[in-house]
Amino acid sequence: MRVPLSWLREYVRVEADAARIADALSISAAEVNTIERRGPADTSLYVVGRVLGAGKHPNADRLQLCQVDVGEGKPAQIVCGAWNFSAGATVAVAKAGATLPNGLTLERRELRGEMSEGMILAEDEIELGADHTGIIVLADGLEPGSPLANAVPLVEEILDIDPTGNRVDLLSVYGCAREVAALFDGELLPMPGTDPAQDGEEKVEIEIDDLDGCPRYVGRLFRDVTIAESPLWLKARLRDAGVRSISNVVDVTNYVMLALGNPLHAFDYDRLEGGRIVVRRARKGEELRTLDGTQRALEKSDLLIADAKRAVALAGIMGGEETEVSDTTTAILLEAANFEPVGILRSSERLALRTEGSNRWEKGVDPYLAGPAATLATQLLVELAGARWPGAADVQGELPQPSVIPLRPERTNEVLGLDVAPERQEEILRRVGFEREKAGFRVPTWRARDVTREIDLIEEVARFQLSEIPFTLPRREAMFGRLTRWQRLRRVVEDVLVGCGWSEAYTPSLVPAGPIVLPEPISAELGAMRETLLPSLVEAARANRAVDVENVALFEIAHAYPERGREPWHVAGIVDGGFAEAKWAVEQIYAAAGIEPAYERASEPFLHPGKAARTAEGWVGELHPAELEGTWGAFELDLDALAAAAGETVRFEEVSPYPELRQDLAFVVDEDASAAELLAAVRAAGGELLRGVEVFDEYRGAQTGEGKRSLAFRLAFGSTERTLTDEDVAPLRAAIADAVGKQFGAVLRA
Amino acid sequence: MEAEALQKEALAAAEAAQTLAQLDEARVQYLGRSSELKLALREVRDRETGMALNAVREALEAAFAARQSELERAELSARLTTERVDVTLPAELLGDVRVRPRGSLHPTTLIRRDVEDAFIGLGYEIREDREIETVEYNFDKLAFPAWHPARSSRDTFYVDADTVLRTETSPSQIHILEEKPPPVYMVSIGRVYRRDAITPTRFPIFHQFEGLAIDRGITMADLKGTLLHVMRALFGEEREVRFRTHYFPFTEPSMEPDVSCGVCGGSGCPTCKWSGWIEIGGSGMVDPQVLANVGLDPGEWGGFAFGLGLERAAQLRYDIPTIRPFWENDLRFVRQFR
Ligand SMILES: [Zn+2]
Repeated sequence: MRVPLSWLREYVRVEADAARIADALSISAAEVNTIERRGPADTSLYVVGRVLGAGKHPNADRLQLCQVDVGEGKPAQIVCGAWNFSAGATVAVAKAGATLPNGLTLERRELRGEMSEGMILAEDEIELGADHTGIIVLADGLEPGSPLANAVPLVEEILDIDPTGNRVDLLSVYGCAREVAALFDGELLPMPGTDPAQDGEEKVEIEIDDLDGCPRYVGRLFRDVTIAESPLWLKARLRDAGVRSISNVVDVTNYVMLALGNPLHAFDYDRLEGGRIVVRRARKGEELRTLDGTQRALEKSDLLIADAKRAVALAGIMGGEETEVSDTTTAILLEAANFEPVGILRSSERLALRTEGSNRWEKGVDPYLAGPAATLATQLLVELAGARWPGAADVQGELPQPSVIPLRPERTNEVLGLDVAPERQEEILRRVGFEREKAGFRVPTWRARDVTREIDLIEEVARFQLSEIPFTLPRREAMFGRLTRWQRLRRVVEDVLVGCGWSEAYTPSLVPAGPIVLPEPISAELGAMRETLLPSLVEAARANRAVDVENVALFEIAHAYPERGREPWHVAGIVDGGFAEAKWAVEQIYAAAGIEPAYERASEPFLHPGKAARTAEGWVGELHPAELEGTWGAFELDLDALAAAAGETVRFEEVSPYPELRQDLAFVVDEDASAAELLAAVRAAGGELLRGVEVFDEYRGAQTGEGKRSLAFRLAFGSTERTLTDEDVAPLRAAIADAVGKQFGAVLRA
Repeated sequence: MEAEALQKEALAAAEAAQTLAQLDEARVQYLGRSSELKLALREVRDRETGMALNAVREALEAAFAARQSELERAELSARLTTERVDVTLPAELLGDVRVRPRGSLHPTTLIRRDVEDAFIGLGYEIREDREIETVEYNFDKLAFPAWHPARSSRDTFYVDADTVLRTETSPSQIHILEEKPPPVYMVSIGRVYRRDAITPTRFPIFHQFEGLAIDRGITMADLKGTLLHVMRALFGEEREVRFRTHYFPFTEPSMEPDVSCGVCGGSGCPTCKWSGWIEIGGSGMVDPQVLANVGLDPGEWGGFAFGLGLERAAQLRYDIPTIRPFWENDLRFVRQFR
């Protein structure tokens, strides 16, 4: 909502300047996006002028040479390109030396051989309107040389404010004035508008079929309407408020909406079949061509304004093309109604049609506003369009009665944590329109939707006391904050990977395809919830390679969404360099979690068929070369499963005082037997004295033979009772060699 | 030879090729310079025959190309199978593991950890909740009115009529209050979704942290003090916090906290749009309706709630002008953070 300050000041008397008003509003009521200033920075050289003489420029057919009285002894000679005036006209003049709002400084200079000492202004040159077909012709009687700013709104300050969804009352200049009056204890003037006398006795037929959708409809008939351009002040106001000027009648409806907050509509009365209005729901198959030229298929839930035969407007959203006010219109029916918000919202949403009107209706407009809106519009139509007003109708259902809400002042203080005297609370409420009654406070009609409970009254007090409330902490009886096991493991995994040289990525959980599909995505790329993190990381790796980043190692911890109701956390990674790189990282994660995983050969279409392993919690492998150019390792583990399997505590074991005895064993064995299987067999055969065993070498060559390889194990034997000797462990070695030989056909190498 | 029979024979030959070499041989025979088809094409006199023969040529070329990529993939797989390793071996026996310089945590995670630590210090618990949420928990129980624009499918991703991608972390308020009796002090952290177009300052997915304190005698002053503490933990001890009235469905009164601008110290600069203050999130006193919705007596229990964005906080702390790098994962960005 753009609020021109001069307009605001018509309704409220306050001293505060724009910046102070903006500051106060933003703390207590609504965000203020900008304070804009329109017009020339220095207005001293802008004056009223009277044209003493005007004639064709001797050297140019399209220019006039004018003598203009600008209040100085001698008239100023000004060359002008417009022809919509003649001698005697009162005009707007910028004298030589003045700077126009567009930054151009006027100089005294010759134009086609004749001196020109300034400019006779058109409305677009001082940003009052869009018209450049002629210059501004002012009312007669203004003193030549008097400041132009006194005759036209030469300068304006505009607050661009963004009220929250519950404060539809602030979507009007008068509503803002009411708030400003409360903030600065300024005087709020009465609502603008006085009904001129009715002129004639004509019946206006209004019928409401759906009082829930339209609790009130004020219709007023106007005759002898002259459609014309709006006066300069009105055009400037609308322009400053961000609304395009169309014609006097349409401008009046928009002006009243902006002034009071009640959207209005004007129909060409002669085009209403049967001269009547019916408010009803759409019929099956009904259509309407709206003002924007779009043919719209309606549904039964759409609220319509119809005449005797057909739909003529989408209630509260947009009028129909056939009954639109045009240059030839002489009679209009003015609609000042009230519509129920949710229905308007649904229709405007379905039709993807949002207007200034629907934006207000969908938030709930005060039903008591229709009357004053009709009055102000009537006054303006009579004044500006020469209309007379021969008939009216006001049809209404039961309008909600303002409620009275009790308030315990001590409750306010409990919520705020600040003592606000009861008298002060009452004063604040009174200033924003709440009336004190025996049982409590009577809610003003324009706040009926958002103030319904004691807590809402407390908020009214609080928003004027925000800066006074102190900073404290809750006085607690117990403290119990700590990270959960899962949260601690997440940190451990993050730190392990960072320590391994991997960096963290955040990729979108929305991907092109996945098990949970969004019916209305914003794009095909973000169409479904992902089942796995890997493809997103492949993309991230690809993007880094595309800009020649080296040493790419990325991981992410995020939810996966394999099915409805299950969102396990995954940790996944991708690294340049292949299987060993990825497996190293996975081994570090498992080590940190205190789990010894069992790796099995795996087969996944996106992985290298010979370099892919599976564990209970996920997989690790080399990316299939068709997935991404180059050699890449990757892994993805279920972090929740990892947390479930993680060893809760470490169980201490007494350390032996005696050194361990280490021996190496190498076997030649079939390729089919995996290191893990051999390791298990060695452990089983080694018995209690075998404290540790690991694979430390793999070798293939002439000595091992085709289809076979050599695997070397380092064994560590130990006892808590004595130092072991070669003789002690010889039988164990033999048992191990025997077992491995029997189970795998492995041959001990010399 | 008749075109149709020729096409049939050539297709069979392509299918029969078991190696790339065999396929090349067949290609020369049926599509080569001196193939029957090419010779016939050269002698065409009428338009109709020409079109028919060209159709055959195109069909054959497509079939040979398709067979070629099949064979290539198969040969690649065969080659890859010969590269088979024993996946149970320790990493260091499977190939080189480079010594890499330490990596970096993402700024979103750095902020998340600071938030966690600040609230653990205040005795809060930290939780994560589901992202695919019911309309009931995301809107209804949080007292969103029917007209609230967030309920519209313009603003929110619906999975079906009763299910959305959560639009804020606030459903956690309901979850925890249904799980355990007050007093409750918790912070919920995680991804949320808004149906926004992607712009330099907006991404449809971002992270929020949501705080909730429910106890006896909680005041707006407590909310102000808590957020001051947290803002200082995140942005530095010299920061100030102010509050502006706002509207949220599930708090009443509602306020938006602003933190004093770290670039200019409050005197005004482009970062804070010359106001000296920077918007940082939303907050308020838990609406009595929300308490009633989870079976608590609003006469006895009260509380506050607040929600802030992790990316937004990271942007402010590290002076990152747009949201874009947070989701691009360019290592030159991520590596700047320690
Ligand atoms: Zn600043």
